[in-house]
Amino acid sequence: MSKVKIATDWLAGCAGCHMSLLDIDDRILPLLELVEFTSSPVTDLKHPPKEGVTVGILEGAICNTHNIEVAKQMRERCQILIAIGDCATFGGVPAMRNLCGTQAALNRAYLETESTVDGLIPDSPELGKPLDEVVGVDKVVKVDLFIPGCPPSADALFYALSELLAGRTPIVLPPQYFKYD
Amino acid sequence: MAKIRVIINGREVLAPLGATVLEAANQAGIDIPTLCHHRALKPIGACRICVVDIKGQRNLQAACAFPISEGMEIETETPRVVAARKLILDMLFSERNHYCPFCEASGDCELQDLGYRYGIDHWVYPTYIREFGLDATRKYFVMEQNRCVLCQRCARACGELVANHTLGLRMRGAESMIHADAEVPFGESTCISCGTCMQVCPTGSLVDRRSSFMGRGDQSESVKSVCNKCSVGCSMQIMTRGGNVLRIESDWDSPVSGGLLCKMGRFDPLYDDRTRVTQPMLRRKGKLEPASWNDALKAIAKRLDDSEAKEIGLLVSGDATNEALYLAGRLFQKEMRAKNVGLISGATPDWIGKQPGTFNDLVGSDMILLVGANPAKDQPVASFLVKRLVDKGMRLVVVDDGENGLAPFAETTLKMADIGKALEMAGEVDRVAVLYGMGLTEKAAKTLKKLGKKAAYVALEPGFNTRAAVTLGMNNGFKASAAKVLYVVLGEQDWDGGKILQEAGEDAFVIAQAGYASTLTDRADVVLPSAIWSERSGSLTNTEGCIQMANRAVEPAGEAKPDWEILSLLADKLGKKLGASFDDISARAAKELK
Repeated sequence: MSKVKIATDWLAGCAGCHMSLLDIDDRILPLLELVEFTSSPVTDLKHPPKEGVTVGILEGAICNTHNIEVAKQMRERCQILIAIGDCATFGGVPAMRNLCGTQAALNRAYLETESTVDGLIPDSPELGKPLDEVVGVDKVVKVDLFIPGCPPSADALFYALSELLAGRTPIVLPPQYFKYD
Repeated sequence: MAKIRVIINGREVLAPLGATVLEAANQAGIDIPTLCHHRALKPIGACRICVVDIKGQRNLQAACAFPISEGMEIETETPRVVAARKLILDMLFSERNHYCPFCEASGDCELQDLGYRYGIDHWVYPTYIREFGLDATRKYFVMEQNRCVLCQRCARACGELVANHTLGLRMRGAESMIHADAEVPFGESTCISCGTCMQVCPTGSLVDRRSSFMGRGDQSESVKSVCNKCSVGCSMQIMTRGGNVLRIESDWDSPVSGGLLCKMGRFDPLYDDRTRVTQPMLRRKGKLEPASWNDALKAIAKRLDDSEAKEIGLLVSGDATNEALYLAGRLFQKEMRAKNVGLISGATPDWIGKQPGTFNDLVGSDMILLVGANPAKDQPVASFLVKRLVDKGMRLVVVDDGENGLAPFAETTLKMADIGKALEMAGEVDRVAVLYGMGLTEKAAKTLKKLGKKAAYVALEPGFNTRAAVTLGMNNGFKASAAKVLYVVLGEQDWDGGKILQEAGEDAFVIAQAGYASTLTDRADVVLPSAIWSERSGSLTNTEGCIQMANRAVEPAGEAKPDWEILSLLADKLGKKLGASFDDISARAAKELK
């Protein structure tokens, strides 16, 4: 049997959820017998392969146009999309920006900090354009499974992957793994 | 009351006629989730989280508000019910900011509990960008509108329980907001900072300033105790973490006021900035110096041994526990035969005589006469009880010469000299409750006694435990000038007895048993540090005669000891055995107070 292909990527997040994935420790070895991580932000290959993967995992919130592109590409190339972490499920810490507005946040970050000299808000065409509102991944593409938490525990992530490998799709995680506060 | 039979989830349940579906289910141990409902408040069926499926009803019904009827068949957790609850939660989470990780109430939040219970792992509906503002204009707690779910518990508590009617709901739909008075900042409103709204808030919308982010519900410990700020004696829970008092919460099972506290009881004790006395002090060669307990007690014992009974004066605070008062009485009055004994703040005059009356008597009355007392200032919770009844049409007549906080709620306010007119008015009704305080005059008392059996009298004593002190015979005309040795059990009370010290004279040997530094401890020859409300156990008798146990929540500061223990140690030094243990002393005190 060929291995199940998994691709991961991150949006507006802190990489903490990927760290939590690595936190499954030695359980990653038997897992790798069954799955292949085709691409991720921490490997050489960054984009999910064109021929597609079975499971796509996204960390981080949607906060600019680049995030939308990444999320859409992942959605197109995977069968099951998992949003992991509070940012991907609810908007998370980046969504605190919503409380003051994007422009105010940009001004504060790039122009008004006490240490800023000749500040400039980056606007290179290569960069994604900040959105007015930070949202969870499911507001842009369809998400099949939500694993909230900041970060979700390694056990929660391992449980979800094990269930998928066993052919079951958990709708909501059981209470011991379900924690978002 | 007649019981009727209903079937909940296939189980037969007997519940009283008139009960709601929620009450019937709770009684049978069947859990129906609630959010806007609170046990101390009347149900309004606003949030619909408690919806259940009732056979014969086309729509789901709110269990908190729906009355049961004979043979009713109720299902509490069908797929239809669960789907409805999830929909409600999804909508609740879509409005305002219910993002848990940076909320003070996280881990201690009823909305979050429901989110977990029904597996809300993401927000189905888009939230919206809108700042609802945070009102931090009050000293003790803040109102974070962004966390509000509009359950109206706060506004209902303010109206139904405290009868203050400061909080209300303005606008409709998504524009709805909890506001104070006519939309003024909370700090400028008629709010009296009793904190009842904060206590009933299910989310992180009303947040205590002092203890915020210092410990969630399950990280802190709760100790049942009794407030000692006034003679109403509300039960309270002292919340602690790591040996520190975080905050005071009310106790809905309180036999006295049913879960009410006021600003004096909930916040003032935590903002007390008086300097504590934490070490025994002894005057040597004219200078007050730190000493060991042993030396300090020995010095007192020697002085007391050398004195005649008539030279000894004892002054006690009406805030001391039953145990301390009992021991002080036993030691000074019985063993040492001292007669010069008094209460620092006095007590209500006893012209009325012994008339057992309780706050419950207010409820069954047609009219309340408030005579010579200002509970709005001195016993706020008693004023809440009165205002609550006035809301329901109770007639209130205030007889007081000074300014009275309840005068605006009275149909008539009279001068003490016009007590006869009050008597006339009382003649119009069948049952009268008389609430009287320190301001009662002898003439007024004589007039009021003419009411005879139709009246219930409740004294509003000053201090906390004054009733116990009076019962134990400690209010019998203290004369400072006669005291060569003056023993003051001051406890936590403020000292304003400069005149007493003057009369006692410079040669008097003064012993101060006190929790806080004052001009008394400066003058004293021996200072004994006493433990304060959070640091001591002891029973307390409220103004109705209800005895409740206050429990120690934290260790005493420094070398401080509870008042009863200090008196017990002193008795040992004097060679008198007054009681083997706290429980023993407590039982003896209770016996004498009966």
